Amino acid sequence: MNHAKRATEFNKDEAKVNWHDKALWYVREKRDKSAHNVQGWEYLRQLGSEIKANVLSNLDEYLIQFESNAKKNGVHVHWAANAQEHNEIIQSILEKHNAKKVVKSKSMLTEECHLNPFLEDKGIEVIDTDLGERIVQLAEEPPSHIVLPAIHKTKEEVDVLFQEHLGTKPSQGNPEYLVSEARKHLRDKFLNADVAITGVNFAVAETGGFVVCTNEGNADMGVHLAKAHIACMGIEKIIPEEKHLGVFLRLLARSATGQPITTYSSHFNQAEEGKELHIVIVDNGRTEQLSREDFRASLHCIRCGACMNTCPIYRRSGGHSYDYTIPGPIGSILSPGKDLKKHSSLPFASTLCGSCSNVCPVKINIHEQLYKWRQVIVKEEKQPIVKKSILKTAGMVLSKPKLYKIAGKSARFALKHAPKFMIYNKLNAWGKARDLPEVKGDSFDEWYKKRKKNE
Amino acid sequence: MSREAILNSVKKNKPELLPLPEINEVKFKEDVDLKETFKNNVALVGGNIIETTVASIDDIIKAQYPDKTNIVSTTNKSKLGTISVDKNTDPHTLEHIDLAIVEGELGVSENGAIWVTASNSVVRALPFITNDLVIILNKKSICLHMLDAYKVIDNRERNFGVFISGPSKTADIEQCLVVGAHGAMSLSVLLV
Repeated sequence: MNHAKRATEFNKDEAKVNWHDKALWYVREKRDKSAHNVQGWEYLRQLGSEIKANVLSNLDEYLIQFESNAKKNGVHVHWAANAQEHNEIIQSILEKHNAKKVVKSKSMLTEECHLNPFLEDKGIEVIDTDLGERIVQLAEEPPSHIVLPAIHKTKEEVDVLFQEHLGTKPSQGNPEYLVSEARKHLRDKFLNADVAITGVNFAVAETGGFVVCTNEGNADMGVHLAKAHIACMGIEKIIPEEKHLGVFLRLLARSATGQPITTYSSHFNQAEEGKELHIVIVDNGRTEQLSREDFRASLHCIRCGACMNTCPIYRRSGGHSYDYTIPGPIGSILSPGKDLKKHSSLPFASTLCGSCSNVCPVKINIHEQLYKWRQVIVKEEKQPIVKKSILKTAGMVLSKPKLYKIAGKSARFALKHAPKFMIYNKLNAWGKARDLPEVKGDSFDEWYKKRKKNE
Repeated sequence: MSREAILNSVKKNKPELLPLPEINEVKFKEDVDLKETFKNNVALVGGNIIETTVASIDDIIKAQYPDKTNIVSTTNKSKLGTISVDKNTDPHTLEHIDLAIVEGELGVSENGAIWVTASNSVVRALPFITNDLVIILNKKSICLHMLDAYKVIDNRERNFGVFISGPSKTADIEQCLVVGAHGAMSLSVLLV
């Protein structure tokens, strides 16, 4: 199934789509307000972009430096070429600690590696502790947004889910009540967990430390109670020096939710006495993306989600329509590099309006990369026959002025006089769920010539 | 171990070296009242902010949190602690702490965040597991933005530290903001 088909599913519930659209646009507006409050915001984005570009151009050296400094702090460093290795490394650490219960804070990387089903198969309980992630875990669904994982769920749906799994009372979706029940439920999980797994927002080569950002405090509740902490990071999470956190922490939360900073920005350098700290550094296709000159800037991404909140397609098609760990515009330029065939419809899920690139805190040229992936895809993947022949005809008509005039005239005539079934049919995607514009007499060319005559 | 394979692949695929930019801090210069901006931002992120004197700290806390019985204070500026902790305390025993009182090292005016170190909280879990949190901060220890903050905390023992900005919160249910997720349900900042 392609993106358009899955988007059609999401669009069956019109009221929900309208809510989804508005809710995300509201987050975009909060981002704007927050960004405009910062003196030198555009310069800050420029710095973010240039620092990340430097990181990619010297990544091997930074990784070695990071590893060496982390080891000096007693941190165990592991390297995983792919998802399988990542999962096996984690399993071996859990075995060493005889761990049966794991709490996990948000990590898109562990989603990408499908860690949960892997560990569950081995009889290990893995609890996602970010509230949104816990909701989708109970619903047995993937997250639909990287910052707001359950944005596709209504509060009434959460209510029903909690009644079923947490034994809550019906509350017609009272958010305060549902959050307080989730707090109790997850406190119990935190207190009984053997090992905590977290993601990494930024890893500092200069110090060997890393930062994890949350609003709920779930990463810290997990880590500081468990006997071991495993932090999983993609190779591109490295930044050169600690002072660069001053750039990225100013950008991240403002771009994500419009907050000036997340509630907790936790800096881990050493394990607490008597405990263990492990870092798993993962490639899983990233070095391959690094080799693609046109697409390597996609590795600048700091996972704020701003491109999703602003995207007119994402807002109206929902995160699940992308069928990839990272949805939205950024997911649409990352996914074809992983599996061109499977994700070939995603770069077309865009109007190329460029809003994603405009809000990106590290200035990734997302819409240009979408356009470039399209060039790659039409060359390498079979295109639907209707699209191919229409584009071919359009190319011919547009290159011949006379033919273009005739085509324009007949189209205007047809729109005025042809019966509805001829215009609104399968061949005309623009006629789906919308009326075509009313035809106003002359073409521009005809109008211009008449005007000239009357001068 | 795939260490060599990954590093070789990076080496082969990375672009030519691009310069690391210098940060021109003049561009972020702002003429603001650090303390007032900080106070506004603590309120914006959902915290209570009270200016007081060291001598009045305990009276203020008692007025703010009248019904607390299990209290941990890791600072000699407050005598309200009823339970003592040291670095060997099992964090699981802090499950029923009603109130924790700790000192912060540095406030950041642009976002209301306060730097709290592992030695400030003695047990790392304390400021998270407590039901409510009080942070005492010297009003002279407030800087403009995060870039300045990292300069101030540069010379430290790097084990664990956290910037805390407001009480824990979530908007994961239909984007409704609910204060009090997994960390502290409320945060009061006492500026002295």
